[in-house]
Amino acid sequence: MEKKRDKDYWSPYIAGAFAGLVLVLSVWITGKYFGASTSFVRSAGLIEKAFDAERVGQTEYFVETTPKIDWQWMFVAGVFFGALIAAKASGTFKVQAVPGMWQAKFGSNIAPRAIVAFLGGTVAMFGARLADG
Amino acid sequence: MSQLLYGLITGILFGFFLQRGKVLRYDQQIGALRLMDMTILKFMLTAIFVGAIGIYLLYDLGAAKLSIKPTILGATVVGGLLFGIGWGVLGYCPGTSIGAIGEGRWDGVWGVLGMLAGAALYAEAYPLMKKSLLIWGDLGKITLPGVLNVNHWLIIPVFILLGVGMFIFFEKKNL
Repeated sequence: MEKKRDKDYWSPYIAGAFAGLVLVLSVWITGKYFGASTSFVRSAGLIEKAFDAERVGQTEYFVETTPKIDWQWMFVAGVFFGALIAAKASGTFKVQAVPGMWQAKFGSNIAPRAIVAFLGGTVAMFGARLADG
Repeated sequence: MSQLLYGLITGILFGFFLQRGKVLRYDQQIGALRLMDMTILKFMLTAIFVGAIGIYLLYDLGAAKLSIKPTILGATVVGGLLFGIGWGVLGYCPGTSIGAIGEGRWDGVWGVLGMLAGAALYAEAYPLMKKSLLIWGDLGKITLPGVLNVNHWLIIPVFILLGVGMFIFFEKKNL
């Protein structure tokens, strides 16, 4: 495996320190801690509401975690734009359907990666919600 | 409204540093789980150390409240195991899947769709979980300083020293 320090990126210690600083400022200024998985619950609820609003209104979990766009939802949306800006500005933006390590083992076919990633995501989110992460 | 704007700006900053640290990548996330590349751990632990020092300082000054999640052994252990399996299969966590799409690695889309399905599934399973895993071994909102009954400034340096020791090991082994 290549182990050279990648000149296109920052040291993970420096980038991590800045990320920690952003958290401290956020807690100081708005009292908000970072998270992402609750926004997936709210989004799932919003999507389900489009089909059967009455059922969502009676689902206990969606009553406790209201399907709506809140601070954290916008934070998650911001992560997308922040990554986009950083990638474009540094020239590391790359449209890639299958990650390199995956491709080396399983080939460049999109379908297997899509199915496995979907199932992995399903299990990961179920676990994250259970552990309240 | 300003809450939403604060959320967006905070997310943009955080996403920017995630991308710059090269932690939005499948190869780095799976690389960490295969003990081949510790980029993720270096980023995460440094962020946690800076966060812990800053937030506990604010807490001591009365300028911040802590956000402590309850420790429920059943839910935390089973949830953690499931999350770990799912993360290892997908190669992104909830936040980094969104960030990965932002930097062009659009296989994050499959992960996001799967996670929406997982959230919907959990909403269905929730009444059952509330009668089982979510009440098994509920220890409440505990912290290490609280359980050991010592000041948090005794715990934080110990963790940082352990972390720095790990960092030195990683760099020696070129991980």
